[in-house]
Amino acid sequence: MAQRLKEVDVVVIGVGMVGTMVSKELAAAGYKVVGLERGQTRATVPEFQSPGIHDELRFDVRKALMQDNTREPVSFRNQASQVALPVRRWESFLPGTGLGGSMVHWNGQTYRFQANDFQLATRTRERYGKTFLDSDLTIQDWGVTYDELEPHYDRFEYLLGTSGKAGNIKGQIQPGGDPHESPRSREYPTRPQKEHYQGALFRKAASGMGYHPFPQPSSNLSEPYTNPEGLKLNTCVFCGFCERYACEHYAKAVPQTVLLPVLLANPNFELRTGCQVQRINLDSTKKHATGVTYIDAVGREFEQPAALVITCGFAINNIRMLLLSGIGKPYDPASGQGVVGRNYAYQTMSTVASFFDEDVIINPFMASGASGTLINDFAGDNFDHSGLGFIGGAFIGAVNTNGRPIQYHPVPPGTPRWGKAWKKAVLKHYNHTVMFSLHGSSQAARQNYADLDPTYRDAWGQPLLRITFDFPQNDLRMAEYVTSKAVEIGKAMGAKQVAGGPRKGPYTITQYQTTHNTGGTVMGESPRTSVVNRYLQAWDVPNVFVIGASNYPQNASWNPTCTLGALTYWAIDALKNKYLRNPARLVSA
Amino acid sequence: MNRACTIASGLLVLAAQPGLISAATAPLTSKTIAKSPGAADTSVCAACHGANGEGSVAAHVPRIAGQSAEYLQKQLDDYASGARDNPIMANFAKSLSVEQRGQLAKRYAAMSAPFLSEPAASPKELARGHQLAYQGDENIRVQACNSCHGPDGSGVLHAAPYLAGQSSEYISSALKAYHAGSRKNDAGELMRSVAGHLADADIAAASAYFANEGSATHP
Repeated sequence: MAQRLKEVDVVVIGVGMVGTMVSKELAAAGYKVVGLERGQTRATVPEFQSPGIHDELRFDVRKALMQDNTREPVSFRNQASQVALPVRRWESFLPGTGLGGSMVHWNGQTYRFQANDFQLATRTRERYGKTFLDSDLTIQDWGVTYDELEPHYDRFEYLLGTSGKAGNIKGQIQPGGDPHESPRSREYPTRPQKEHYQGALFRKAASGMGYHPFPQPSSNLSEPYTNPEGLKLNTCVFCGFCERYACEHYAKAVPQTVLLPVLLANPNFELRTGCQVQRINLDSTKKHATGVTYIDAVGREFEQPAALVITCGFAINNIRMLLLSGIGKPYDPASGQGVVGRNYAYQTMSTVASFFDEDVIINPFMASGASGTLINDFAGDNFDHSGLGFIGGAFIGAVNTNGRPIQYHPVPPGTPRWGKAWKKAVLKHYNHTVMFSLHGSSQAARQNYADLDPTYRDAWGQPLLRITFDFPQNDLRMAEYVTSKAVEIGKAMGAKQVAGGPRKGPYTITQYQTTHNTGGTVMGESPRTSVVNRYLQAWDVPNVFVIGASNYPQNASWNPTCTLGALTYWAIDALKNKYLRNPARLVSA
Repeated sequence: MNRACTIASGLLVLAAQPGLISAATAPLTSKTIAKSPGAADTSVCAACHGANGEGSVAAHVPRIAGQSAEYLQKQLDDYASGARDNPIMANFAKSLSVEQRGQLAKRYAAMSAPFLSEPAASPKELARGHQLAYQGDENIRVQACNSCHGPDGSGVLHAAPYLAGQSSEYISSALKAYHAGSRKNDAGELMRSVAGHLADADIAAASAYFANEGSATHP
């Protein structure tokens, strides 16, 4: 029997970046907020300190910072005709757990999406006609525009201290930045990261081909920075342990470095860790949430009543929370009806490796998570897709994030996978190879979705989330085209051999690609095609807000974090200035 | 009075100890350093830094024996360019060519020297120093010193100098200079960022701790 606790104003599920932002703002506005985090509490000191934090076996191979999939896995299949099986070892994507969430192990790549992305369905129709799209695609507009989000993007970047070079300030193209970007109101808070040698090689080749290289926007900082919350970050030391690791230097913008200390100092906020939320509770009308039920680390069950529930989990966990709670109609791919789990999307990643002679010294180990040089000439809708037969694109960049000894071994195609010949090839190529990342969009498709697994359950007896996903043909054609462009750049750099690997189907869950799972609780203008409205408020249960990359109707050509930060500030603005003035009702446009 | 005495008594952070520089046998000027036989002649350096680079506790001169050659050369280059402000060392460094500085740095990097005895520190002070060295302190947002300065503060080639066995007075004066912003030759303001968070007691504790760790890390 659950012990019933004293009612609070707000319960926040998941204290990652989104949960920290929401809690901080609402606690500061005077509301009593409880944050429920399933993982442990963590801080830069002592948890993130070296040498322990640089243990590649523990963090990279065994994925110590990730969601515990011995207790809470997902199940997966490529198609609805298959039987899904639980993913017992994370490979394709890496959802984090613990205070600070997945952002603790991010690379700090901090892009905005472009104005076009937020109105993708409308703009695609306008530019390419009504019959251009493959019939399986279910892309749609977001219900919010870039211009509406711009102040929130700005606020998020200044919270993080992002290091970059603006390409477009209020419509004025800025030399050295990305000319394709949508207008920003001001320059980045800190100057760009130092360019490494492979970035310089890429810049020279790409410029020579008429493209527009620019420094990757990085939230591993290029210089000391004090954010508007009064927290000071240090300069990144290029240790090459960002992704899959936490930063020991207070140099990577994560909740612990940019906001959590402010939140934790506010007596209106209470953090409870080790709390596994089972469901959001609804009253008999099913239109109003009464709070949540959770199980703590020693197995006791509690009911936490609250006037407002905000779920702030990683995309797949937000979807699951709504399905477990009976909020919103689950999506049925056969009929196309229902919304929860619909438009699950990902990212279409490709790689190109350029192998040089031994006189070209790359030093890949001197790396930061977002210190690359890249082009957006083939991203989004920055090039004419007429006649190409697909929408979307990818950024192409010399984005070297690490040269770590266990996992980083670039070798040319045809090299044996083990043994003497492999070792010889690793020695020969380790320090003389430039890896391009091609970070491609992912269009939502009718057949890709998430629902509850009919068979497999978690350690608490709840059904797992079942993901059904394969790359739509549109995205594979996109990868083929953009990869061919990247190979040309590799050749122009003077590489001896260029190996291009466009993403091929079927999607495999056993190979790392990226941790950019999106969709499933998408935002939009109609309850028929979205789970939450443009303020991220559940259509069916107005005192529930859902905030996460699960809100993206489809995924764009860039890393999703900065857009999620902007959406979060946008939703907070609506919560404070609209919803809480007239609570428990749908916020009208 | 020879030039070396003038130099020693001129160091602001030093209590001049004329006896210490008695090893200097000839008047030292920029000219004579430059003309010294052998590009890596260390007799001038030895006047203050000791015959084997062991430094001087009493005169607050750092130990340089076994220090990273890259670090030593960067400091000499920075003294010469003015990036690190020290009138005494600037005078010496400017009189050397870049090659000579490199040779001197390598020579000291290859030296070993006995550890000098340090003033006694309290167990409480050493414990706080150990905490800062190994773990850091979330309350003041300071990461572990050893994160950059290597296992047990033994240094990281190319990147960070050793601290273990360094003179506590020297570590302390360096941290205070970073704290005040008067020393500015740290890449990315890394040391200014850290030292800026340290209170005087933290500086004293970290300095005492590392000064007493020499024999533990450099057998």
